[in-house]
Amino acid sequence: MNFKYLTNGLVKENPTFRLLLGMCPTMAVTTAALNGVGMGLSTTFVLIGSNVAISALRKVIPDSIRIPAFIVIIASFVTIVGMVLEAYLPSLYATLGIYILLIVVNCIILGRAEAFAFDHTVSESLMDGIGMGLGFTMSLTVLGSVREIFGAGSLFGFSLFGPNFEPVTLMILPPGGFIVLGLGIGLINWITIKAEKRKEAKAEETSTSQEVKA
Amino acid sequence: MTNVLLILVSGIFVQNFIFSRFLGICPFLGVSKSIPTAVGMGVAVTFVMAMASAITYVVQYAILTPLHLEYLQTIAFILVIATLVQLVEMIIKKVSPTLYNALGVYLPLITTNCAVLGAALLNIQNGYNFIESVAFGVAGALGFTLAIILFAGVRDKLRISAIPEAMQGFPIALVTAGLMSIAFLGFSGMLNV
Amino acid sequence: MKDKIKLDWGIIAKYGFILLAITVVCTLLLALTNRVTEPVIAKQEEQKNIEAQQNVLPQANKFKKVKNLDEIKKEVGADGDIIESVDEAYQNDTLVGYAVKTTPNGYGGEIQMLTGIGTDGKISGISILEQSETAGLGARSAEEDFQAQYRGLNAKEPVEVEKNGELDGNEIEAISGATITSTAVTRGVNTSADAVDKLEGDK
Repeated sequence: MNFKYLTNGLVKENPTFRLLLGMCPTMAVTTAALNGVGMGLSTTFVLIGSNVAISALRKVIPDSIRIPAFIVIIASFVTIVGMVLEAYLPSLYATLGIYILLIVVNCIILGRAEAFAFDHTVSESLMDGIGMGLGFTMSLTVLGSVREIFGAGSLFGFSLFGPNFEPVTLMILPPGGFIVLGLGIGLINWITIKAEKRKEAKAEETSTSQEVKA
Repeated sequence: MTNVLLILVSGIFVQNFIFSRFLGICPFLGVSKSIPTAVGMGVAVTFVMAMASAITYVVQYAILTPLHLEYLQTIAFILVIATLVQLVEMIIKKVSPTLYNALGVYLPLITTNCAVLGAALLNIQNGYNFIESVAFGVAGALGFTLAIILFAGVRDKLRISAIPEAMQGFPIALVTAGLMSIAFLGFSGMLNV
Repeated sequence: MKDKIKLDWGIIAKYGFILLAITVVCTLLLALTNRVTEPVIAKQEEQKNIEAQQNVLPQANKFKKVKNLDEIKKEVGADGDIIESVDEAYQNDTLVGYAVKTTPNGYGGEIQMLTGIGTDGKISGISILEQSETAGLGARSAEEDFQAQYRGLNAKEPVEVEKNGELDGNEIEAISGATITSTAVTRGVNTSADAVDKLEGDK
């Protein structure tokens, strides 16, 4: 199987922290860790479904009408997710609200359809969908956890610090979404830059030592 | 009338689409690099959102509800919006080439602007009538325009500031938007009815 | 000036057909899912209503909708608009109270709530059915702690919202930072009490 497509979305091309796609749901629903998981998995389902369907139909759909075709397919999967959630997980459906239906316009889905599924095989697209979806879920869960810990003093609904903790409510209000995501991307950039510098320094070291030898 | 006024003020300031509802973040971050482009995007979005609110209202109450096809809402709305954007693009191209040259690049982007679909869905969810729906669409779009223009102004200043390498670009932009969002929280006491 | 673009009807028909086929398949899939989920959603909704009714009037075991809802709404006045339904609650054929569903406007839109009022003139409980208030602030109105405050308050006079300070008399403590939500819920409760008052007056 094509596992390189699977890990791609998890780390190297993480949709939230690397590609900066799908920002609206990322910030809107991550007021608690559980919401992040719910939104992430819903998006994953839609992503897998649309990736597989579009790659299966890629020989049938002519190039010039691909966008409307993509939109219809994606919207169908989103509606299915919406109906299933409303029927079997009504409390999650109530919390996520219209952001469930707004998965339709999440740039990750259309972006992957356009950039990946339309010219890859079904199994590759499946792997890409799983990877990207889980990468997105992971990011949302991390953001949701951070905001919930600071903003409500709990994690997945379990109180962490006891009743005397005065939560930083700002973190679960809209500004918290922007700030936590900004600092999160900054942190990851910082780690990457540091790692790259170390690599460069190492490369330089080996080249100078080689010169000395010569 | 007071209702419409309330929707307008609340949509622009109190429940700003960007700073409080998180709708339309992608173009907000992508097209806010300079003030003129921000204005262009704002005008295009306002136009499409007002039209989309009106048309989706008719689609919902003249077609979907009578036929009990509510479950096709998402598909119908997104297709209306996509078609509308195409149509607007063609009309502007024919009527005013200058305007088209200024807005051309942003028009296709509007289809995937979740503020447009979001406004259409919220109209139905809140049970607004036709006039209220259009007012909500316009208010949301004006709020979006206000946010994107203000933000473009701030980013102009950010470009000449000394920022740590890791925070340059998106990270500092997001943190700045967070601070602006705190400022907009100040409006929340305004509509204490 | 004439456009020089030639329309190739063959291609248009072919592409149109492909798009149509995709749309038809998708619609069929959706219709199928809808058939499966619709009854489950309806049942869910009913279950939620029953639970809420038992929650606000624990002693009741039978509920009956009142018939003169429109009259009551008119009698209550301007606030009557937010009344959705009024139910009489019975415990084995004795009237024990009323369950009133209201939809006051909160910060993020309509709040759907149920208020139980006993025949003793006391509020026996409230239950928030649906709300879209700010998470961590107004959304906390859905928590038991907030709702429990209303239990036992006097329904004969209006309940007031206390922002900070001592609670005395017919008051509840506002959720900190969410005065609008607290006021909205209280408005729902007071309107419900009003409706019950008018209903009992009619008898």
